[in-house]
Amino acid sequence: MEPRIGVFVCHCGVNIGGFVDVPNVVEYVKTLPNVVYAGRNLYTCADDGLSAIKNAIKEHNLNRVIVASCTPRTHAPLFRRTCEEAGLNKYLFEFVNIREHCSWVHMKEPERATEKAKKLIEMGVAKAALLEPQEEVRVPVEPRALVLGGGVAGMSAALSLANQGYETHLVEKEDKLGGFVRNLHTLYQTGKGGIESINPLIEKVMANKKIKLFTSSMLKNLTGYIGNYEATIAGKEGETKTKFGTIIVATGALEYKPVGLYGYGEYQNVITLGEFEKMEIEGKFPSAKNVAFINCAGSRGQALEYCSRICCTNVIKSAMKLLEAKAPEAAATLAASIPEAPREEEAVAEEGGRRRRRRREAPAGAAAAPPPSGIDVTVFNRGITTYGIERELLYNAARERGVKFVKFIPENPPKVSREGDKLAISYYHETLKMERKMNPDLIILAAPLVQRPEAEELSKMLKVPLGRDKFFFEAHVKLRPLDFATDGIYLCGTAHAPVFIDEAIYQAYGAASRASIPLARGYVQTEAITAVVDDKKCIGCGSCYGVCPYHAIELSEKEVSLEEVSLKTRKSYVNPAVCKGCGTCVVICPTGAIAQRNFTMPQIMAAIKAFSGIPVPLEVLAL
Amino acid sequence: MVNKALIIGAGVAGIQASLDLADKGIEVYVVEKEPSIGGRMSQLDKTFPTNDCSICILAPKMADCFGHPNINVLTYSEVQDVAGKAGDFKVKVLKKARHVDEEKCTGCGDCMAKCPVKNIPNKFEMGLGTRRAIYLPFLQAVPRVATIDAEKCLYLTQGKCGNCAKICQRGAILYDQKDETVELNVGAIIIATGYDVWDPTPASEYGYGKYPNVYTAMEYERLICAAGPTQGHMERRSDQKRPQKIAFIQCVGSRNVQLEHPYCCSVCCMHSTKEAILAREHHDDIESFIFYKDLRTFGKGFNEYMERAKKDYGVVYTNSDATVQENPENHNPIVVYDVAGHPEKKEVDIVVLATTLIPRPETRKLAEKIGISMDKFGFLESVDKLLAPLDTRVPGIFLAGYCHEPMDIPEAVAQASGAAARAAEVMVVE
Amino acid sequence: MVTIDELIKDTGAYDCVECGKCTTVCPISNANPKFAPRLIVVKAMAGLEGLAQEPDIWTCTTCETCSDMCPYKVMYSEFIRGLRVEAVSLGVKPRCSQHGLMQNMMRMMTNPGIKQNRLKWVTPELKIADKGEVFYFTGCLPQMSIIFEDREGVNLLGIAQSAVKIFNRAGITPVVSNQEVCCGHDLNWAGDEKNVEKLMKINLDMIKNSGAKKVVFSCPECLRTFDVDYQDMAGDLDYEFMHISEFVADLIDEGKIAFNKLEEKVTYHDPCRLGRHLGIYDAPRDVLKATGADLIEMGRNMKKSACCGVSAWVSCESLTKKMQLERMVEAVGTGAKKLITACPKCQIHLRCAVSKEMPFEKEKADIPIQDFTIMVANSLK
Repeated sequence: MEPRIGVFVCHCGVNIGGFVDVPNVVEYVKTLPNVVYAGRNLYTCADDGLSAIKNAIKEHNLNRVIVASCTPRTHAPLFRRTCEEAGLNKYLFEFVNIREHCSWVHMKEPERATEKAKKLIEMGVAKAALLEPQEEVRVPVEPRALVLGGGVAGMSAALSLANQGYETHLVEKEDKLGGFVRNLHTLYQTGKGGIESINPLIEKVMANKKIKLFTSSMLKNLTGYIGNYEATIAGKEGETKTKFGTIIVATGALEYKPVGLYGYGEYQNVITLGEFEKMEIEGKFPSAKNVAFINCAGSRGQALEYCSRICCTNVIKSAMKLLEAKAPEAAATLAASIPEAPREEEAVAEEGGRRRRRRREAPAGAAAAPPPSGIDVTVFNRGITTYGIERELLYNAARERGVKFVKFIPENPPKVSREGDKLAISYYHETLKMERKMNPDLIILAAPLVQRPEAEELSKMLKVPLGRDKFFFEAHVKLRPLDFATDGIYLCGTAHAPVFIDEAIYQAYGAASRASIPLARGYVQTEAITAVVDDKKCIGCGSCYGVCPYHAIELSEKEVSLEEVSLKTRKSYVNPAVCKGCGTCVVICPTGAIAQRNFTMPQIMAAIKAFSGIPVPLEVLAL
Repeated sequence: MVNKALIIGAGVAGIQASLDLADKGIEVYVVEKEPSIGGRMSQLDKTFPTNDCSICILAPKMADCFGHPNINVLTYSEVQDVAGKAGDFKVKVLKKARHVDEEKCTGCGDCMAKCPVKNIPNKFEMGLGTRRAIYLPFLQAVPRVATIDAEKCLYLTQGKCGNCAKICQRGAILYDQKDETVELNVGAIIIATGYDVWDPTPASEYGYGKYPNVYTAMEYERLICAAGPTQGHMERRSDQKRPQKIAFIQCVGSRNVQLEHPYCCSVCCMHSTKEAILAREHHDDIESFIFYKDLRTFGKGFNEYMERAKKDYGVVYTNSDATVQENPENHNPIVVYDVAGHPEKKEVDIVVLATTLIPRPETRKLAEKIGISMDKFGFLESVDKLLAPLDTRVPGIFLAGYCHEPMDIPEAVAQASGAAARAAEVMVVE
Repeated sequence: MVTIDELIKDTGAYDCVECGKCTTVCPISNANPKFAPRLIVVKAMAGLEGLAQEPDIWTCTTCETCSDMCPYKVMYSEFIRGLRVEAVSLGVKPRCSQHGLMQNMMRMMTNPGIKQNRLKWVTPELKIADKGEVFYFTGCLPQMSIIFEDREGVNLLGIAQSAVKIFNRAGITPVVSNQEVCCGHDLNWAGDEKNVEKLMKINLDMIKNSGAKKVVFSCPECLRTFDVDYQDMAGDLDYEFMHISEFVADLIDEGKIAFNKLEEKVTYHDPCRLGRHLGIYDAPRDVLKATGADLIEMGRNMKKSACCGVSAWVSCESLTKKMQLERMVEAVGTGAKKLITACPKCQIHLRCAVSKEMPFEKEKADIPIQDFTIMVANSLK
């Protein structure tokens, strides 16, 4: 088939067109071998650009299409589908990136950018002439899902999958469902206990016939790929092996132990917020009449980089509870608590918009305040992160009820020390510009959530990455927040980043939605750009097996016949359903036995030759 | 049981919800008020914390949504009424006349070049750019179909002109087209109607509308966008000069009990940080100053992004609210702020206001009509804020995105998938 | 007297998030960077002692721009007032204008046996009564007219006369009483609550005896004191308290009065008590427009209106004149023929600035000031 190549050069608004002389590039491209059509579009990805591609395929009888524009990461699927719609195998489409690789990095040298764009396209044209049609494989999907983690996220995900009609196995490390919430004495959303608040969810999960529960269990091993995972779950009663179509990771997080900060680990009365909640659950309410919270203990640049999102609100919740709590006996001898006058709600709205000024309208969010207990509560903070509606109203209510807030800057944090048998916090008042001191009986540190230690192992088992912050790392920060780059595995809840319970729950529904798509469809269509082994050249050395990041390579005994002789030898095999087309095996193979479809050695060499003008004899490469 | 779903609003949340449902094999109707899908995300220049070009990452999803075999997109349409119950809702949709045949129009733009009614402020460009009476709201609009502004078109208002019909080679202009009501029958509904930008003119201490070089953040997004009205060249309203000092003021109209928006919009600290970073990426000599009440960098990678803004992009953060005065000689805004209880002034070239983002008034009307509860600010409420955050009190109707509570793009995307799961659960017949 | 903790609660000071917006809009801070409303509140919240001794609590003009702009509605002015009460109880003496003459006069009036002759301004053509439905509360106009007799361009008695003229034209004979005493506004804002209560008692008894149901004020300070402070101290009162602009607006609506359309270019200065303290912005504007006036707004108007610089005769300082001149220059800049204000004190204070030496040519800041009530009365058909 004689190559007939059509090239579409994109302005991408001014992203490319502002720096690369696109009309000039188009004129150049028209002179290249096998190019029968070259045109330009303001936005090739827009409807008119796509129509232009389809029309040109028909009009010029194109059998290869090149789009020179942005990145294949976002746009290749769209252009490939467009080619398919015009009757062209989508692997006869070639992408040339003249934005990230060209215009964006050469903004200050437009002429050279233009020359580079020409060369990049020339390389694409040379490669495109050698493209071959490829077929994608359809793999059936096991209609069953696996959810790892029995906290609110995992439970909600399992419940939604079950409610969508899929058998779901829920694996929980502990002997009870509930996860982190089990340790929470009260939730700001409900004002009730953690377990009490989520009990309806636990009951629904336990009662659902489609959910198979594995408590005191862990994922021990995982093989396979999307649609065909095989998981070994180890529990008290031994191990079970089951096939799953998709997997959701909802393994949660832990509270950081801020050892060495603000006297934690040194003074008994310096505890974390999580420890405080546990004490409350156990009924061991610490005897204190003056309590200080210190926020961001270990987070936002202190020991860890990130902000833990939930601490400010949880501190405020606990601070308000302390205000309501009965002050310890010892407090009775201290300054008598100030009786609060009954609050008049109807203070402002009067006829004609007139205002009664001495009694002030209660700010939004303020609820009827109980009489103060006599416990003084101060929150040292680096700014209060009560984003959204309810949380911000809670912050307003906390100030209204008498929680004191003192801001500090990271360069000058409060200092905790000991004065006789008392704790002392000395701090710098940033507005008044003066050193101050207080003597709390109890210091509660708001420590961030951190990844669980076993996540490292799990990430290896699932072949999914952890980020710099050690939390599981999603496929795309903006548009694929619940997917992993590995197909068939999804994530939700605090395994991904700190979130509140309600947020973990909607994420769980979202992950359940994502995980149910392959189950609903019943098959997955795999990529075609996989590696393929030439048995004749393979010497069975196993190098490829060792480097494949997706475990797509199998080594097996094969019978090879050479004329009259036949012998058994080891050969590599690439499972096309698992192969992601990364090319690692191609590079490592000492005999050049592995080729990657759509990125074959001749195709790549043709591109290099088009760039450099130096021909590379293929025989040299083929060894 | 009707195995179909309706999504109201085709911003990023609506698009994601429709794709999830359609990929599960459920037929979806997407109703969008504007002539194009894409919503607010299509208006943004780039997105935090990765500086991805917003329309570049959204455009493929818009195309996927419009082209999906299971998705029917109804643009320039509004939901008028919903009756029935979960599994069997009857929905009335007003399909407004765009006076252009959606099947025939290719969006070639010939008509737009000939339309004599120019200089109509373009809503998509926040009024910074103009359009004609026949227009595409923006270059990447989906569907790429022209719309006639019936209030401005000379033919429709005075019976004159008719240029577009004369020039259109495909005979796509339909002056006689009338609004029509479409009836849909669906099993579940997802509301994803997003937000409106609050007009800060009444808060005159910020000088918006009075001083030319005071912008809202959404205007600024268009101002620096390569596809925007100035092709990404930053030009001041007063003299088209390129700004060199930019002040960003946070919480304009939000976290404000007086203005009855006591809530926090959740996204402004980050979008201002992003906007300051982008300014420096445009020009090395730009200095940005961000004035804030509390710096809220609570999302994944947000605090790290803000630290980068400080270290690598020289963004100066000041913990103070600020108000604006003006140097009458050069129209330079003068920002007044407070350092430890003492007023300070800084003359800058432009001011960008992080105005509060509010629920849409039309969402309020719809919610009242179909019995969805709202909080006093107009955000749609869930039936159980803890355990069923996406369920409304009407079974079968779910929520996603900013119409529900303030949130950023990934949260809206996650909620959209979540709402899709809830909607899919309705369709399951045991 | 309330404690600092109670003051914090009563004024919502606990709601302060230290955003500093109050500082950025405060007219005093604008002229004197050492002053900020929130510093006083933050010090109180931090438990610092000796706040009542700070001179700053007397610098504030209690104009309420800060409170109006505060995202959390912290009532800074009220906080200042509370601190002034404490200060006075600790023996602090505010530095009063006119050597304290005003306050001393007010204190004299607390003596029920005092003999007054305050109705000399009632000229024969003005009809007033001892009893009736509508009470016109004159306020301090008679006394102040004597003290400020020499001040160029100030006409105080004309306000009272004009008010009665308006009533009469609408067929109303208002009660005007010789027993009336000062409302106590300036004592209240100078920390002397005790004497305010005494004045209140005399005034309320007098109004009760008149049989009036409606009390109309031409002075915004008196109106605020009755409507807010008296009711705060004495509980809800069964009278309708109105500013004359509201009263006239009703008369216009009822068709009871009409105007010669004078078509004069005027600008209007919102007094802080009438505007930010009581929220009355529209009525004076509606009435001015009804008289045929061509109302041109200054840049700073309504809620953002500038302060005349002094309140309660305690905060006149060097920077006051600067604020006043700025306001006068702003008024001249509108191109209006005169500046209308509804508060006699604004008139006195603003005229004060232009009656003395100025750092620039007088024309830049010199614009006739007329009281709202006089302007309305002069326009009557």
